[in-house]
Amino acid sequence: MRFLLISLFLLTASCASYPKQHNFKETSTHNFQLENPYFSNPSIDYVYKSDIKVFNKSFSGIFIVKKMANQHHRIVFTTEMGNKLFDFEFLNKNFKINHILPEMNKKPLINTLKHDFFALIEQKPTPVQYYSDEKSTMIKSELLNKDFYYIAKNKQLYKIARTNKGKEKVTFLYSGISDNIASQINIQHSNINLNIHLKKL
Amino acid sequence: MSTSESIALQEKVKSLAETTNTISANFVQYKHLDFLSNDIESSGKLSFKSPDMVKWAYNKPFQYSVLFKNDMLYINNEGEKNNIDIGSNKLFKQLNKLISSSITGNMFTTEEFNINYYKNEKGSVVYFSPKDEKFAKYIKEFHINFNHNAEVSAVKMIEPSNDYTLIQFSNRITNQNIPDAVFAH
Repeated sequence: MRFLLISLFLLTASCASYPKQHNFKETSTHNFQLENPYFSNPSIDYVYKSDIKVFNKSFSGIFIVKKMANQHHRIVFTTEMGNKLFDFEFLNKNFKINHILPEMNKKPLINTLKHDFFALIEQKPTPVQYYSDEKSTMIKSELLNKDFYYIAKNKQLYKIARTNKGKEKVTFLYSGISDNIASQINIQHSNINLNIHLKKL
Repeated sequence: MSTSESIALQEKVKSLAETTNTISANFVQYKHLDFLSNDIESSGKLSFKSPDMVKWAYNKPFQYSVLFKNDMLYINNEGEKNNIDIGSNKLFKQLNKLISSSITGNMFTTEEFNINYYKNEKGSVVYFSPKDEKFAKYIKEFHINFNHNAEVSAVKMIEPSNDYTLIQFSNRITNQNIPDAVFAH
């Protein structure tokens, strides 16, 4: 009986929506305009030292983002010595590969990076539903057909979660925020062994 | 540059390379991407030991070093160490060889490159474009600047997209003993 109760509890918990699992309640009143400001200034060259851990291997490089115009970004990753590993471009949600090292030219990898990077640069996602708890606001949106939740405290976005069936698949954590620049960004995947850590240079 | 001048430069560079056992120098690296407002600048110290041990130790704006030694690449990324065996990777081997030879500038191999010579105020600049198609996909051209003493003062690696990496050397010291610890890993 106890086992059944625990199973039932787990089943309900795992079926609960992402906001519910985190004790957020739907709300119609909110004071936060959904905006991701961290790569939104076209006059800034966003340059980060990047450490990537994938399947227990680690490598590093320089991660560069530039907003060219509205809905237009370039994202380039080079080694510290300057060799370009990839050069991606987003223009009106269309994704283009300008250059990629043949060793990295693998569809699943590119697809993962495309979804991760689009979440980094999409400045004004369309809000679908608002939630709140005592301190924070959570906003549901959809990017490239995936569910995303944006979480802000004191009107400052500090976390984005990509979910599937209520479960966190990827989290983006922003810290050391000043003047709409995050000095650290951590992208953690939970379904694959991949972590990308960005440190502002 | 006339043919006789280019031959004279080649000979000077070659004889200098032959008598060079070690080089240490400071370097400043500029990564130029056309779409950026400013080049990305980093700097550090280069140590070279003949024939092919090279260490690039960046100390600004991050601590990172890469040591090329015996077909291996030893990386120290802010204290985290990582080794890469490049023995099996032909392209990487080729790149490593080029990096070593570009430090002394002794890479006048016409089987591998189309080579053009130019004079400038500070000395001369030689353009090397790789003949190997696979290699040319990564680097369209190397520009190696020599001062009047035929020492390499700057190396520019230009990608097919015309984005480039420029490395400028200063405080170059030749044939001074470099402690083994520099090339330890």
